[in-house]
Amino acid sequence: MKDILLEFKVNGQPKKVYVDPNDRLLDVLRDYLDIKSPKEGCGTGDCGLCTVTLDGKPVLSCLTFAFQARGKEVTTVEGLGNGKELSPMQQALRDAGAAQCGFCTPAMEIMVTDLLKRVDNPTDSQIKEQISGTLCRCTGYYPIVEAVKKIKEEER
Amino acid sequence: MSMEVEYLIEQLQKKAERGELLYIGESLNRVDDIEKILGKPIYTADILPKQTLYAKLVHSTIPHGYIRSINAANALNNSKVKAVLTYKDVPGINESSAVIPDRPLFADRKVRSTGDIVAAVLANDFRAATEASQDIKIEYDPLKPIFDPLEAMKEGAPLIHDAGNVAKHMKVYKGDVQKGFEASDIIVEGTYSTQFQDATPMEPELAYAVPKENGNILIVGSMQSPHITQSGVAKALNLPLSRVEVIQAVTGGAFGPKSDETPTDLGAIAAIGALKTGRPVFVNMTREDSMIMHTKRHPSITKLKTGATADGKLIASQAEMIMETGAYASLGVLVIVRAMFHANGAYEIPNVKNDGYLVYTNNTFAGSFRGFGAPQAFFASESQMDELAKKLNMDPLDLRLINMLRPGKRTSTNQLMDAACGLPECVEQVVAASNYRKKVKEYAEQKGNTRRGVGIAILHHGNALGPEGNDYVYVHLNVDRDGIVYLGTGLTEYGTGAISGLAQIASSIMGCKLDRFRIDRPNSLKHKESGPTVASRTTAIGGNGARDAAEKLRDRLNTVAAKLLDCMTSEVVIVDDIAYSSSAPQKRVGWNEIVDEAYRSGVSLNTIGYYMAPRCIWDEHTGLGSPYSQFTFGAAVADVEVDIDTGVYSVRSYYVAFDVGRAVNPRNVKGQLYGGTVQGLGYATMEELVHKDGRVLNPNLKDYYIPTSLDIPEEFVPIIVEKGGAIGPFGAKVVAEPPIVLPGPAVRNAILNATGWSVDSLPITAEKVWREGHK
Amino acid sequence: MTEVLMPNTLAEALSMISKDGHDVLILGSGSDVIPRIREREIVPKKVLDLSGLGSELNYIRIEGNVIRMGALVTVRQIIDNELFKGRLEAFLQAGRMFGGPQIRNMATVGGNLGAASSSEDLIPIFIALDAKVKMASIDGDRLVPVSKLVVAKRQIDRRPNEIIREIYFEMPDDSSWTAFFKAGRRNSLIIDLINMAMYLKLNIDGTKIEDIRIALNRVRGKTPERAYKTEEYLRGKRIENETIARAQEVLDSEVQLSSDFRASAEYRKSLDKVILARLINNCRDRIVEGRRTGN
Repeated sequence: MKDILLEFKVNGQPKKVYVDPNDRLLDVLRDYLDIKSPKEGCGTGDCGLCTVTLDGKPVLSCLTFAFQARGKEVTTVEGLGNGKELSPMQQALRDAGAAQCGFCTPAMEIMVTDLLKRVDNPTDSQIKEQISGTLCRCTGYYPIVEAVKKIKEEER
Repeated sequence: MSMEVEYLIEQLQKKAERGELLYIGESLNRVDDIEKILGKPIYTADILPKQTLYAKLVHSTIPHGYIRSINAANALNNSKVKAVLTYKDVPGINESSAVIPDRPLFADRKVRSTGDIVAAVLANDFRAATEASQDIKIEYDPLKPIFDPLEAMKEGAPLIHDAGNVAKHMKVYKGDVQKGFEASDIIVEGTYSTQFQDATPMEPELAYAVPKENGNILIVGSMQSPHITQSGVAKALNLPLSRVEVIQAVTGGAFGPKSDETPTDLGAIAAIGALKTGRPVFVNMTREDSMIMHTKRHPSITKLKTGATADGKLIASQAEMIMETGAYASLGVLVIVRAMFHANGAYEIPNVKNDGYLVYTNNTFAGSFRGFGAPQAFFASESQMDELAKKLNMDPLDLRLINMLRPGKRTSTNQLMDAACGLPECVEQVVAASNYRKKVKEYAEQKGNTRRGVGIAILHHGNALGPEGNDYVYVHLNVDRDGIVYLGTGLTEYGTGAISGLAQIASSIMGCKLDRFRIDRPNSLKHKESGPTVASRTTAIGGNGARDAAEKLRDRLNTVAAKLLDCMTSEVVIVDDIAYSSSAPQKRVGWNEIVDEAYRSGVSLNTIGYYMAPRCIWDEHTGLGSPYSQFTFGAAVADVEVDIDTGVYSVRSYYVAFDVGRAVNPRNVKGQLYGGTVQGLGYATMEELVHKDGRVLNPNLKDYYIPTSLDIPEEFVPIIVEKGGAIGPFGAKVVAEPPIVLPGPAVRNAILNATGWSVDSLPITAEKVWREGHK
Repeated sequence: MTEVLMPNTLAEALSMISKDGHDVLILGSGSDVIPRIREREIVPKKVLDLSGLGSELNYIRIEGNVIRMGALVTVRQIIDNELFKGRLEAFLQAGRMFGGPQIRNMATVGGNLGAASSSEDLIPIFIALDAKVKMASIDGDRLVPVSKLVVAKRQIDRRPNEIIREIYFEMPDDSSWTAFFKAGRRNSLIIDLINMAMYLKLNIDGTKIEDIRIALNRVRGKTPERAYKTEEYLRGKRIENETIARAQEVLDSEVQLSSDFRASAEYRKSLDKVILARLINNCRDRIVEGRRTGN
């Protein structure tokens, strides 16, 4: 029963969709709005791959009902750059070989963006802490940490 | 000539002098990661066609028994449900096995594990399919289940399969092990056990099928080996291979299970559903489905006995390994072979007797997983080396230095090591980087509740398929009118960057820039079957296919360029997209001009490269011979800190050196050292898929712990050693699998060094450490 | 679930559940209940979403020596709040190990109290602080001591027409400290093997334990509780190795734990005992240090 009208902003664009009470924010993004960067890696809130920001804070879109996003602003990787060229943050990830299978990469980007918004020159342990709720099985995390440190060096 | 042009030519000449090695050994960005980083819709679940039905699989609720009846009436009453599939719906052969035909696609007569698929519910959406799946009533006549492989091996044990509960007995017998033990001054014995490990690719297995107007069936999915899926689907659907088009979507991690039987199951079920309903069908797998269904790393129990002289020379080694394969053999029959070939460690030992048994139980099945039998084998052998060193009152490093493989030494199977054996260099470099000797001294003085310790482990790793199959590959290269190079192969990319490495090899040879390359999506009808994408074989084997194709194109490009440059073909140099004549370097033509001219003059820039590795000769009865064409070598040192009161420990530093022959792309090689090690550290310290009464207790990421970013060592030093191997392109050896092998024994030995406690079972939980210390 | 109630004020919310409240599941962030709803572990008819009540239920304030937290305060807000950097360190220690960063942005104090499972790390701290929960209903507020809140696993003393509004407790004085520890099998996204929270107050000359409250996620069952006997033994004692060893024995006899695939009861108990000693010493050291540096 899609009888709840959800009005919210996604990547700066106002959206109106009718949703089912059981729909998660992840379902609305992926299935209704065709925003596919948030991934479902577990559906139980244990892998972090569905991370998006909700009113500026990274949250798990698989643990959020769609109706809870009413009146709020959601950002996904689709909203981070111009969608064609890599941003400096994304380029740093590429240069470090931080995307192997790539399935965790969008969630990592959300977490990294959030960190760099708050902390100027993050230390290794701050970076590790920030991505500690997002699982990666390919890289062992080291290239991701290396990439984040490079981003700040480049901006300095 | 301006300075600028002169400089450019000088640079080009420098590069050209390196010839085929133009981009080999450079950490170039891979060609296929931009879309991933931009978050583009490229994975299976991102690209579902419209009007797709969702399938939810229904698994057996009992571990062993006969199916009495399947009643889907209630589920079919649901208006959202379009079909329920069972074995009755399989048009062809209801079998989905890799080697031994022991596993039906849909359980028919009998179920043997809670991972068996009994039915699939197809509905308009996944929620409806999931809800309706609970309305399918299946009645069983239970049989006595067996969950202990030792029980299963006993005479009179209930049979899981008619042919018996031992699926394979693999032997390696060399010399006379009895005499060897008699001649030994010191003998150590131990039993080492390992657990079920789940590969946990971040994307679970997924596939959808689309019925095509021409009668073909199209399957798109997350998988390692599209041609295996193609033949499995063709068999299940009773279709000729030419009607089954399988495309590998961008795949979110794999690590083995996606080469085994599960992708075939999903492809076949989706295809059966699609043909039955006339609509696309997506087999969606939740994390739980994936962890229950796909192959895990085999648990093992290894009894190992080693004999040595008083001065530490190894004389005899005897291994008996019981590998539990769960309900089905899958690739286990080959896993046990690799395990036995490596069961005595990377040492020369004159007398060897290895017996490996692959044993059925009613747990969910084990099979392909990164390492393929080596992690279990080396955990036993490398743990025992430290026990022997302790008994000999010798440093574990010194014991290894005396016995390890070097050029001129022979493996357990009697294979001779040549100059490509870089193990001594690996050990030397890792010992230096880790300050091993100094730490051993320092840590010996410790008192108090917090203790540090260092542990070392070493390995050899037989490359590529070796005894596991014919090692051949095809690589397609096609340059289009715009000068873009399309690289296609039946081998797949699922994270490592190895396919981009093939492009790097081809671009080196062709002289065009790497960013001209695009990777075709592997397609079973478009690309030639190239064997499975397993055994870390993409670079070492596939690279030769890329090289062959690139050399063919290079010859044609040279001919065309010679015409344009008005020089001899042999004088043509093509480098960095520019061609010139070595006798008159001032005149240059660009890549696109050459390509244009080739098209105008009818020279085909479309070709297929081929390579087949030499056959490996070994004796099936004794296991002796040369089962592998080349070996990778590696050594690791772990530095741990243990809290004596609680057994809680952390791996503070990890140092690893691998002889990879030639690193085509060092950054990507390091990517494997990092990722493989951390997955190995998970195996060593925390990961364990637990079965109880045949049911998986923790098929989720809450209770199946894989390492987070806060669990990795603060310091990690990866070292690349390059002792070119016999068959890989430019000497390249495999690298993806070996790093997962060493953390188990290295961590175990470091804890021994810190505490004097021997934990002989994986994973080494804090509780196990604590138990050892509080016995 | 078929209906969602989305009030914009607490008064509106309370009137929505004034009659058929037993049909309604109260949703904080949802991070705990959403997977349970999807697994059909709970099948609520209706859900009342508190997202619209941020302005009323999201606050951390100190009034006199009483600290008050609204039900919608998130774990992240606790970590970021200066109030928790000293004597209330237990919150920091728990907060930093609570789920992962995304969960910390989501999980609320009210949700923690309402979920009442053994993995809700804040509850033992609130118990150690002797906190009180303010339940709001259309009939007015009702106070429930947090030690009496959890009546069974995942069951709390909340009437169908009530919403958790606030939790409050006294700020520990300068002779006191709080600490928290949990043990799991990795360093993030941890499933607790055991956890323990402690409030410890020294006497005026800093030689003896004047008061102590110890709360564990499991004592006799699968609900957080205080280790009363251990507390009783320790009260008035000097902190010496012998005393601690004896307290560990008391704790050992007081705690009844079960084994599961994550850890054995025996190991969990041994951890409890080690952690008891470490938390006592940690609290004592910090109090002494605080006195020396005048914090």
